[in-house]
Amino acid sequence: MSIVQPSEIAAAPKRRRRRGTAKVNLGLISVPMLWLILFFLIPVVLVALYSVGVLTLISYDKYLSLDLWRYFLGNSTYLGGPLGRGLFWKSMKMSLGVSVTCVLLAYPVAYMLALVAGRRKYTLLLVIITPFLTSYLLRVLAWRVLLNPQGVIQEVLRGLGVLNADGNVTWLYNSTFAVYLVLAYAWVPFVALPIFVSLESLDLQMLEASSDLGASRWTTFRKVTLPMSMPGVIAAFVFVFIPTIGEYVTPQIVGGKGGYLFGNVIQSSFAASFDWQLGSAMSVFLLVTVAILLAIFGRYLNVRTVAE
Amino acid sequence: MGQFDAVMSNPASRRNFLKGVGVLGASGVLAACRKNVQASGGGATSSIGPIESEPGLLHVHEWAGYDAKWLYQDYLDAGYEQPKFSFLVNTEGALAKTQAGFEWDVTHPESGYIQDYVNMGAIQPWDTSLIQNFAKLNPVIEASGQIDGKQYEIGLDWGYSAPLIRADMIDPNMDSYEYLFTDDAKGHISWFDTPWILQMAAISQGMDPNHSFEMTESELSDMTAYTIEKGKSNLYNIWVNYQDMWDDVQTGNVWATYAWPDAYVALKDKVDVAYIRPTTGTLAWVEGLVLRSDTQNYQHAHKFADAWASATVGTRLISSWGYGHSNLDISLAKIDPDVVKVFGLDDPEKNLSEPLSYLDRYQAERNAYNRAWNEVKAALG
Repeated sequence: MSIVQPSEIAAAPKRRRRRGTAKVNLGLISVPMLWLILFFLIPVVLVALYSVGVLTLISYDKYLSLDLWRYFLGNSTYLGGPLGRGLFWKSMKMSLGVSVTCVLLAYPVAYMLALVAGRRKYTLLLVIITPFLTSYLLRVLAWRVLLNPQGVIQEVLRGLGVLNADGNVTWLYNSTFAVYLVLAYAWVPFVALPIFVSLESLDLQMLEASSDLGASRWTTFRKVTLPMSMPGVIAAFVFVFIPTIGEYVTPQIVGGKGGYLFGNVIQSSFAASFDWQLGSAMSVFLLVTVAILLAIFGRYLNVRTVAE
Repeated sequence: MGQFDAVMSNPASRRNFLKGVGVLGASGVLAACRKNVQASGGGATSSIGPIESEPGLLHVHEWAGYDAKWLYQDYLDAGYEQPKFSFLVNTEGALAKTQAGFEWDVTHPESGYIQDYVNMGAIQPWDTSLIQNFAKLNPVIEASGQIDGKQYEIGLDWGYSAPLIRADMIDPNMDSYEYLFTDDAKGHISWFDTPWILQMAAISQGMDPNHSFEMTESELSDMTAYTIEKGKSNLYNIWVNYQDMWDDVQTGNVWATYAWPDAYVALKDKVDVAYIRPTTGTLAWVEGLVLRSDTQNYQHAHKFADAWASATVGTRLISSWGYGHSNLDISLAKIDPDVVKVFGLDDPEKNLSEPLSYLDRYQAERNAYNRAWNEVKAALG
């Protein structure tokens, strides 16, 4: 007959509680995990299999072949030319530019809302995001009305005599600039939100301490506010950078011949060309690139800090 | 006791076994029937049951807008059930869905894709003897729907793919696809998002239109380079939505564009436009109905196709939508003379035949064309 130690008696309910908690956690996590496996992991694996011809769709698809990878990686139009010249690099530069612009535009807004607006900050935040309660497609289409040669902006310029009657600002519409402008417009609020959260959770006593120690407002911003809000800034940057690399809707609507991006080739390969193997190879490449970038960003992004 | 005995000695298992044998037998019969159906392109219908024995609810996988009732009014008037429609965005997407197991009885691809459906085993030939209007259809168009002598597609709507120009902005006397590349319309040219632009470039450079469907790698590479060069200097945009293109032509942003005749019908009373069918050969497309190989609505599908093939539908399709129709009995008196001229409806057989027109066809190297075209688009920015 064994003797039950008092410590074991006390520990038993804890173990039960822990087991119960583990079951609840497992239950909670199983649904999103299942979702991810079904609608993310499996499709990604299928796309990867298409890209190397393990799966084929139509009679002239190549079975078990890396030809499409070779074609894509070696093609100077997409990637294989001088560094920075192919379409992939154009998309990267576009995403980088849009992300930086969004952060630069959104930071002062978020700063004002979080640290200056006081009690009205949530009302103002709502005002800022109100246009974004409408469809993304509608907002992009609205830009066509503004930018096209017969649109509001160019008509005003003609009315003011800046343009002659037949003159057009060709870079304003059907251009890379138009895509850049509309993407920046579309993503600014999504950038403002994480920065706002990050600034709002700042310990204001730190700012007071900086001031008490004789730092100017600019120095306080540079040495205290900005570093402490960096997780929010990086999160915001990532929020824009990742999805805009594969963007194809905005370029299609306002980009014209100049706005064609990497996402458009992927979309075209799947939807118009019926070339799933090439589209899959490009998709997998993009996915891997994004994953690597995400890992790099992750090193500088303290998610817990942002959440707090 | 062997496994077979074990199965037979268990009543439940025996029932399952007998059921299985029954299903296998029935499958065999069905497979045999299907064989007969597939062989019925010449008109044999003995294995097809009466129309009353079919489920009757026809599933039509169609283009958006093609569910308009006037397109199959005779079918409805005969008392058949309103078909169920699902919509396709493009034929490539419809092929992919079909390959993935999407069910339909009838769909509406371009003739260039019939071979893909045949390769999938997804379609069977029509029994043209069950389509009363078939005899009135343009034989040139119907020939494009045949593979190995079997009528896999009932060709119905058709059109040209050619330049539409603003005759007040650019010389209308240039009889060529060159309109889509010329420096005379610098900054005012619009292309449709299709590899056919490469073929048009080739034809404008003197290539035989038939050969343009099967260019060699080097020819395709040359045309890609030429198209990129002309696109960079002269192109306004690449249109995807035809209404955007109509707007651009109307406002004068575009002087020369790839277009179908419907654009001419839509714009001719608004601005000074001309539809150019190069006499060196114009590319043309045909669409029609194909029949699913395992359809349970075999007879209904034929009735539906017959309704679509009527002269009444043809007349309305041409005059209101600006698409051609294969029925040769359409009433020209009810159609705008300009439209009759643009479509060549006074002699559609001649106008759709070579050397005046070159119909779309299956391209074994379609991927090479698509990749070249993607390179053109990627290089323009």
